[in-house]
Amino acid sequence: MSLLVLNLVCFGLAAALCIVWWRANRAIRRLRASLDAATEAQRSKESLLVQRSELDKIKDDFISTVSHELRTPLTSIRGALGLLSAGLMGNVDAKAQNLLRIAVTNTDRLIRLINDILDIDRMESGRATLHVRRCNLRELVQQGVDTMTAMADAAGVTLVLNVNASPEVQSLDGDSDRILQVVTNLLSNAIKFSPPKTTVNIFIEADKDWLTLRVSDEGRGIPVDKLETIFDRFQQVEASDARQKGGTGLGLAICRTIVQQHGGTIWAESNVQQKRGPGASLIATFPRVARPHTEEPAVQLKTAKAPAHRGTVLVCDDEASIRTVVKSYLEKYDYRVLEAENGEKAVELAAANDLKAILLDLYMPGLSGWETLQRLKDAPATAAIPVVVLSVLSPSAGRVNSTGPQLIPQGWVQKPFDEETLIAEVGRAIQTSSGSSHVLLVEDDADLAAVIIAGFEEAGVRVDHANTRQSAMDQCRRDRPALIILDLTLPDGDGFSLVEWLRQQPDLLSLPLVVYSGRDLADAEMTKLRLGPTDFLTKAKAAPSEVEELVLNIVQHLRPTTARQVSRPAGLKDERIGAHAKSIDR
Amino acid sequence: MRRVLIVDDEDDIREVAALSLEATANWTILTASSGREGIKVAAAEKPDAILMDVMMPEMDGPTTFRQLQLNPETSGIPVVLLTAKVQGVDQRRFAGLGVAAILFKPFDPLTLAAQIAEVLGWHDEPQNP
Repeated sequence: MSLLVLNLVCFGLAAALCIVWWRANRAIRRLRASLDAATEAQRSKESLLVQRSELDKIKDDFISTVSHELRTPLTSIRGALGLLSAGLMGNVDAKAQNLLRIAVTNTDRLIRLINDILDIDRMESGRATLHVRRCNLRELVQQGVDTMTAMADAAGVTLVLNVNASPEVQSLDGDSDRILQVVTNLLSNAIKFSPPKTTVNIFIEADKDWLTLRVSDEGRGIPVDKLETIFDRFQQVEASDARQKGGTGLGLAICRTIVQQHGGTIWAESNVQQKRGPGASLIATFPRVARPHTEEPAVQLKTAKAPAHRGTVLVCDDEASIRTVVKSYLEKYDYRVLEAENGEKAVELAAANDLKAILLDLYMPGLSGWETLQRLKDAPATAAIPVVVLSVLSPSAGRVNSTGPQLIPQGWVQKPFDEETLIAEVGRAIQTSSGSSHVLLVEDDADLAAVIIAGFEEAGVRVDHANTRQSAMDQCRRDRPALIILDLTLPDGDGFSLVEWLRQQPDLLSLPLVVYSGRDLADAEMTKLRLGPTDFLTKAKAAPSEVEELVLNIVQHLRPTTARQVSRPAGLKDERIGAHAKSIDR
Repeated sequence: MRRVLIVDDEDDIREVAALSLEATANWTILTASSGREGIKVAAAEKPDAILMDVMMPEMDGPTTFRQLQLNPETSGIPVVLLTAKVQGVDQRRFAGLGVAAILFKPFDPLTLAAQIAEVLGWHDEPQNP
């Protein structure tokens, strides 16, 4: 009887266990599915962010270039006109003087327009972030009034500041430069539309949560149907206003953007409608405590790394904190990073991914670093991946532990390490292991090529020779050289077009280049020929032996100096470009 | 008489700026058309100040400035950067360099000298004409 009970109990337990196991399994499956879905969603979100940041970058570059390219000629124009119209270059008669005045005024207007367009673009795209700190609205308004007094005087307009807020409620969280911009824009707008001998009143009012700025003029006012639209770009009450008043048509649009970025609102009122006499009032309110604009695009550029990455690097270390640090350093330099917490995982990931390099800790539970290295080197798929050891041991101490002479890592970073050492060592390991320490000589003159090649062979440097543009392109594609020596005249196109092609190849655009041309080059030509570090030699002036000396110097620079460079002051790095050109005639 | 070196790769801007400073401030103006040339002229002539463009090919203004700082002969010469980039980010980046001031293009040729004098604390200089 008791046996039967026991059997029943056992059976019941087993059944219960079965159910629990089955449920757990189902739960795990569900969890895994939702995890997969979440991962997928995250991935697509990330790729969207990457696309967006890519677009932003293109746009930023474009805006930056346009702003520079437009302002540069304007600087000369404005400067020349200014000097002429001031009579500093000799007297000009009244008619010419008038023409010069027109030219100066309109150049100024064009300059303001460019500034405003760039400003509003940056703000509206959310790329110009606010620098919020505690500031005092009264002080900012006073500053704006001081700035605009000259303009008001010229127009015969009086500016009067009325403060109806006690000092303790005059402060707000805001970007003072931007708020000052709102104040001056509103004042400038009011002055422009004020007849002479009238007053522009500025009111500051406050309550516990909000600060209000009201700028009220006694001008012709704003028709009710235009009260909204005047804040749109290039929208004015009269189409001719921009021309006559010298505005850009963007001032109020900029104000609205800034106020909204601060979480406030801006609007216009007709004084007549409000029974306040003639003219119009423009009113801006700011929350006293920061309340960020909700529509601001929530693009986190930090997570959206530029996709033009340098390749994937695997970090294998059992300590998560080390992996995190290494990862952050590498990502800063546009490497993609995979992590492995032990040797087995590293071997597995190395076989499954296209890796540029592996960073490997030596002391790990399970497979040790050396064992891991051995396995990586034994497998044909992973044997060629450069490995940089990450260890508390120094390279000389560490190598004693090596089990065989064949196990020599391509790089070594001793812990504790800093960012620059790590990046330099990884870069060096990748570069040396890519095996491209050869020089490509692009020269159609066979005799000259022979002389140069002979010189290099003596020095133990491999030189590949291309006698046409096409052959140079083919060779670059096949086997990336460490440096190119380029003659400008080639039978099938010139050196310029070859450089242009090289610039479009992501892996070639930073190659060091020595231009060895038959004639002196103009500055503009040199600019077109610039690739990575670029040097210029003139054939008639520089002998082939000088080319050789220069190239050897560069090749040496390319190999061991990445590490040495690190200790140099930051400013010197750029100087490397063309630093070897000292002895060369241009 | 004060001597000011203008470094700008744009011939026209160099000329206008030189004319403007000569006409309004009576300074002796030296010019250089690249960062590299600017470094040479600065070392040879030791001007009282350098007015330098930011964006130049080969060696830009900030790089040239750092080079000038590394040479004890030129490290004491105040440098005013002149830039066509007025984006806030650029401004903050340039300000971090340690230059005497940053002025913006397009400049007003009548007040450029006064602005330079002001940022360099040359209070004895004639004010705006």
